[in-house]
Amino acid sequence: MKKWEVKKTASKGYAIGPAYVVKKQEVTVDTASISAEQVDAEISRFEAAVEKAQADLAELAQDNAIFAGHFALAGDIAIHDGVVGKIKDELMNAEAALMQVKDEYVVIFESMDDEYMRERASDMKDVSKRLLFALKGIDDNPFAAMKEKSVIVAQDLTPSDTAKMNMDLVLGFATEEGGVTSHVSIIAKNMAIPCLVGVGPMLGDVETGMTMILDAGKGEIFLEPDETMVALYKEKAEKFEAFQKELEELSTLPSETKDGHGFMLCANVGNIEDIKYATQFQIEGVGLFRSEFLYMENDHFPTEEEQFEAYKEAAQLLGGKELTIRTLDIGGDKELDYYEFPKEENPFLGYRAIRMCLDQTDIFKTQLRAILRASAFGYIRIMYPMMISMDELTEANHLLEVCKAELKQEKVAFDEKIQVGMMIETPAAVMMAEEFAQKVDFFSIGTNDLTQYFLAVDRGNQKIANLYNSFNPAVLRAIYHTIQAGHRHNTKVGMCGEFASDEKASKLLLGMGLDEFSMSAGEVARVKYQLRGCTFEVAQKLADAALKLDTADKVLELLENS
Amino acid sequence: MVKGTITVNNKSGLHLRPASELAKIAGKLTSEITIVAGDKKVNPKSVLILMSAGIKKGTTIDIICEGENEEADLKTMLDAIASGLGEGTE
Repeated sequence: MKKWEVKKTASKGYAIGPAYVVKKQEVTVDTASISAEQVDAEISRFEAAVEKAQADLAELAQDNAIFAGHFALAGDIAIHDGVVGKIKDELMNAEAALMQVKDEYVVIFESMDDEYMRERASDMKDVSKRLLFALKGIDDNPFAAMKEKSVIVAQDLTPSDTAKMNMDLVLGFATEEGGVTSHVSIIAKNMAIPCLVGVGPMLGDVETGMTMILDAGKGEIFLEPDETMVALYKEKAEKFEAFQKELEELSTLPSETKDGHGFMLCANVGNIEDIKYATQFQIEGVGLFRSEFLYMENDHFPTEEEQFEAYKEAAQLLGGKELTIRTLDIGGDKELDYYEFPKEENPFLGYRAIRMCLDQTDIFKTQLRAILRASAFGYIRIMYPMMISMDELTEANHLLEVCKAELKQEKVAFDEKIQVGMMIETPAAVMMAEEFAQKVDFFSIGTNDLTQYFLAVDRGNQKIANLYNSFNPAVLRAIYHTIQAGHRHNTKVGMCGEFASDEKASKLLLGMGLDEFSMSAGEVARVKYQLRGCTFEVAQKLADAALKLDTADKVLELLENS
Repeated sequence: MVKGTITVNNKSGLHLRPASELAKIAGKLTSEITIVAGDKKVNPKSVLILMSAGIKKGTTIDIICEGENEEADLKTMLDAIASGLGEGTE
């Protein structure tokens, strides 16, 4: 038996079952010429590959416009004629011919003056890769062979990897790389699947089919455990599930402490599917609706109509419950296929989120109008990201007023008293919280970015990962300062970062006075159980004590012993 | 040979999705078809070539059809573009 330990865990629960190892594909193209007799066979081989690629794409295209475009490209006559020409006239093998044709078109697209068109070079590359895989007979779905419920073991998993998985067969995830805020962690957390990331080298030892135990809560992985271990963990898993069930039953009770102090528990969501999933839990609303998906899952900037439909559906799914829509937060690590962001030295300090929206007001106004129109169908709140100055708030609110005036003139219904709030995720916003609080209806503290910006620690950098710590007293004091400033002006203060559901942090945040906790829907029941179990008085005392400490370790020690 | 003129009005121009829609339609027609946009002459049966013409919203293009069904094919092409190629017009 071999064992791995992980310090930071992203989700809870146990997974016991066979491993399924995901291997990265590497393909080399040889340039050997073919003989004249092989020409016809080579052409048929290429045509068969096109058929295979299109068969795969047809399925993907059903609910994805980008894949629909790829389907058309794969069968494109210009590619066909180009490849066939090179096979016939230059006696190239199909793979080499395909790569040359691809390169030719990539050059054409990359030299075009339209940004959207330049980005199409990546579609060409994607499609050629798919064709190349088909030619080589490589299955590009690394999960195709997964037939039984398994623990997925991989170096790292990208969004397109997880999109290909049959989630019903996923018992758990273990990846060598990645952090607790990486893509796979978030997916796992949302779906309540046990997940351990940043485990370190595993792929040398693990083979598909080997038995694995994942203890995601404790951060332990066992490879090929003996029967006693398996039995022990099966029992633990059963107990855990029973506890989860108990939590669910508890979740119908009101969100208040033993001494009657109320708080709100909301969900963070990234798309309509997430909302459908979240409404199965006892959430009191959505504290963060990331609107980026509308932009990222599209091949053009979404129109007002497209956005309106999505926001309206979201509002209706939630009934009269709060739906907080964060306006476009793109840039940094989030890019678009159809829009080229300028290359920047420091994208996280660069042209992103509200900065881009206030610069390209058409994009921003389209979104604001769509949100306003949808506000007639539910309880919608608008939230601006990445604010650093009163000027930005004034400018954003001015544009909002312009949109409202336009809609009024067009006689389109909207919620005239729509609440407007902002993310507190920059040091500047914290320092100016007093002034901001007088101008907005609510704050939402985004702890992931706030921690990164406050401590000047890149959260993606493994080498300094130990410095990224929201329990750092500087971060805790920034949070407290924000809550205090907000409350002095009757501005509700929420939190929509991972920190709100941190087992050690929730009670502390309650004691600091946080009004709304927004988190992955799957965490709501547990946090509710925890906060219902304490009194506000005790939580306040705990917060007072914690805020006096000068190191993260001391804070953690206090919280662990409380 | 027949020729028709139309202005492309779908909101995102002939980008990947509408271009593939148009190529799909053109591919089923028997005529030799050419789209003339400014100084570019392209074959609409290829998405790649169609996209490489970079036709944006508001561009006026000529469509030339040649073949046994040229009249009907030209109408099919014009109707398809007028309908917004599955995207709607604005």
